[in-house]
Amino acid sequence: MTHEPSVSARDAEHALRTALSRGGEWAEVFWERHETLQLVLDDNRVEDAIGGVDQGAGIRVTTGERTTYANGNVADADDLIALAGRAARGVLDGGELHEAGPPEPDELPRHSTVAIDPRTVAVERKVGLLRRANDVARALDARVQQVTVSYGESVQEVVVANSEGLLRTDTRVRLNLAVHAVAKEGDVLESGFEAIRGTAGFEMLTDEAVEEAARSAARRAVLNVGAEPAPAGTYTVVLSSEAGGTLIHESVGHGLEADLNLKGLSVYSGRIGQKVASELITVVDDGTDPDRRGTAAMDDEGTPTSRTVLIENGVLRTYLSDRKHAAKLGIERSGNGRRESFRYLPICRMTNTMIAPGAADPGEILSSVKDGIFVKKMGGGQVDVVSGNFAFEITECYRIREGKLAEPLRGATLVGQGPKLMSEIDMVGTDLGYSTGTCGKDGQGAPVADAQPTIRIPSVVVGGKVG
Amino acid sequence: MSERLTDEATVDQALSTLRSLGVATGEVFLRDAHSGSVEIKDGAIESVIARGERAIGIRVLEEQRLGFAYTSDLGAGGIRACAEAARRMSLVTEPDPDLALATRPIDDVDLDIFQQGTADRPLDERAAAALAVEDAARAVDPRVQGFRKTTYSDSESITMIATTTGIRGSYRESYCGAMTSAVAKQNGERQIGYHGEAGRRPTELDPARVGRRAAERAVEKLGARPLATQKLPVVLDPWMAMDLLRAIGPLFSADNVLKRRSLFADKVGERVANERITIVDDGRRPRGLRSAPFDGEGVATTTRTLIERGTLRGYLTSLKTARKMKVDATGNARRGGYGSPSRIAASNLYVAAGTDDADAVVRALDRALAVTSLLNLHTVDPVSGEFSLGATGNYLERGARVHPAQGITIAGNLTDLLNAVVGVGADLVFGPGGLGSPTLVISELSIGGA
Repeated sequence: MTHEPSVSARDAEHALRTALSRGGEWAEVFWERHETLQLVLDDNRVEDAIGGVDQGAGIRVTTGERTTYANGNVADADDLIALAGRAARGVLDGGELHEAGPPEPDELPRHSTVAIDPRTVAVERKVGLLRRANDVARALDARVQQVTVSYGESVQEVVVANSEGLLRTDTRVRLNLAVHAVAKEGDVLESGFEAIRGTAGFEMLTDEAVEEAARSAARRAVLNVGAEPAPAGTYTVVLSSEAGGTLIHESVGHGLEADLNLKGLSVYSGRIGQKVASELITVVDDGTDPDRRGTAAMDDEGTPTSRTVLIENGVLRTYLSDRKHAAKLGIERSGNGRRESFRYLPICRMTNTMIAPGAADPGEILSSVKDGIFVKKMGGGQVDVVSGNFAFEITECYRIREGKLAEPLRGATLVGQGPKLMSEIDMVGTDLGYSTGTCGKDGQGAPVADAQPTIRIPSVVVGGKVG
Repeated sequence: MSERLTDEATVDQALSTLRSLGVATGEVFLRDAHSGSVEIKDGAIESVIARGERAIGIRVLEEQRLGFAYTSDLGAGGIRACAEAARRMSLVTEPDPDLALATRPIDDVDLDIFQQGTADRPLDERAAAALAVEDAARAVDPRVQGFRKTTYSDSESITMIATTTGIRGSYRESYCGAMTSAVAKQNGERQIGYHGEAGRRPTELDPARVGRRAAERAVEKLGARPLATQKLPVVLDPWMAMDLLRAIGPLFSADNVLKRRSLFADKVGERVANERITIVDDGRRPRGLRSAPFDGEGVATTTRTLIERGTLRGYLTSLKTARKMKVDATGNARRGGYGSPSRIAASNLYVAAGTDDADAVVRALDRALAVTSLLNLHTVDPVSGEFSLGATGNYLERGARVHPAQGITIAGNLTDLLNAVVGVGADLVFGPGGLGSPTLVISELSIGGA
């Protein structure tokens, strides 16, 4: 596709002056060009091949406590100025006029390496990866009935400029290769899923990595058709580092987003400096973690991403903030003001969130449990941030008997209350494992990664079948 | 500013570009929408958003291979680049003899889904609607002391589709909705209650009802405690039943059926649910939130009874899957937007009203759990039908509430659930997403707890 030049400093300044022409204290231009490619192989056939480009901008003007935001598709500088005029017309009682300062562009360090720009790789090579994954997954076991493999490529160019003179750009190259396998035995159908996702170049999708993902997805589907339904009840649970970090994301992460805390609605509101978890627990959000799915040079307000220690040895240190909430709460900007696209205002979001590794040997954590459940892989989760209650899906787990892995179980869910669970964790391993996903909040999706070491929870409710 | 073509002219330009590239058959889809939303906080406007969207998606079908591309650049160069990309994409996919573009003319039908000016309401009217939500919520109970988020939003859009084979159609629709999450507090305990409703025009939306229901949902959870692990009858009010119905939708997809990913495969004519259950997908329900004259492929929408008194009657199809199954396309190839390909999905999917007095059915149960919220609905597996969800609810004895419950799970299988329906109320309600359901009483589900 043809490539239009991005926003020049002159265009940005013109747009900002226009946005503030009828009042308002502060204005911002967020411009974005998003190129995507999606390929889907399903039922042994390449069914979908979709390429696209979406280009647009959002103009924000703040007046006292009120934010006005106008956004839309823009093709050129004239469109951008017209959009700024639209934002200005939405500013009522704008008060005295403020001038936008001239933009002073600066370069931020990048935390992702893109050795191979995926747009330079022939689409046939990408299709080849899909076929390879399909073949490997199907070859694993005769019970594998169906395989879907998808390749997603996203190149998002972003320009942020504001009336304080900020002008920064970022390019996020994100790739996603996902394998979904269905296995059948008798009347039982079960799924297995695995994905490789990161903010990095095409070099991350090595043949070995793709084959491993395909094997994992197929193995999980086959394991689950032969598994017993999980027994509902309260158990000691060991979460393997391989399970990924859905737990920390749901049980704690959302509760530490500054917007909820400003409203006093989070279970963590007003608790900075207080003990909110076991002293074994340190929680970090790190938007600079190289090549991870939630990594970027800056957030979507132009604030550089950072490594933020949220909970340190059990004590709450700070929240994840955007500009507005950092100012209101009097905390440092953490670079967590993210938006799905130019169609949305930024909100406080996680990037790559983890429980830091501890001191226990992962093998000893498992052998310490006489009767319990070992979670090897987690799926999706959800939290009610006001009460702290969360639920997450378990996609691979086993019974623990006498400190050893026993029969596989399927259809389990873990539920609990974030702060309570975090105060009860009594063993934290030296290892660390990552998982990736797309987090949903207020109708906006954001690419994230989560990580945790192997941990032991002495007592937690596991959902499943009764009797 | 570059010269702006009208929507009609943009579609024509894209069609003529396809012809000039020598493309055998192609399709142009255009969406032109504008919308607004207001979020309030502490009785005042916090943010006002005006949104515009205008872009096209082009599909090329050549030698039975399908390619797809989209662009928001509607200048001549952008349209041409998009058409070329769609054609290039068609070279990557594999041929399928059943792929086709629409060939039947679209009938003219008024579904009452548009009111001019819905998205041009003055800001003070929009704000008043959002404020009315919070006022009504606070009036329910003094323990309602805050809101996670309260918004009012509206939109108007034009959808157009045209093919090189001469099919052409367009429709306009409008939408407005309000939602809130109310927070109730008592003795240091905090509970949240969500509710949202939507309509095709402002007169179909009752903001006060949205606020009242959210407040009731929050207040009724105060004092919640766990339940013991056990099996219990479960009561799903219409809104909770809609949440589960949304998860059942994919089982009817002909694509899932053909690819052996649905529990309903090969079950047409067989009993798949209790005989009290009739499920209908009505693509043309007047004022329906997912009503439209045609689907994302330009096929006229229809009304289908999918389950009739417990017996599976058919599936939801696209052009391709209908040809594979040798049936007529049902017009369920739905498109999320200009950048999304068609996927088979339900339109206005609902459980038909029953004849039971739901309250009487519940009073006849010694013990039951009336579910008040479900966590993790997005993890229901459409392949296995299995679900294991976080839940809150009211524990009932002979229909009377004993205490609210939280920190529990409910688990089961969608097909078992459909078979275990022992009561279907007469209180059919339609909600967001075009879904509808009366109260459902389930004979037994697994409850995980203390």
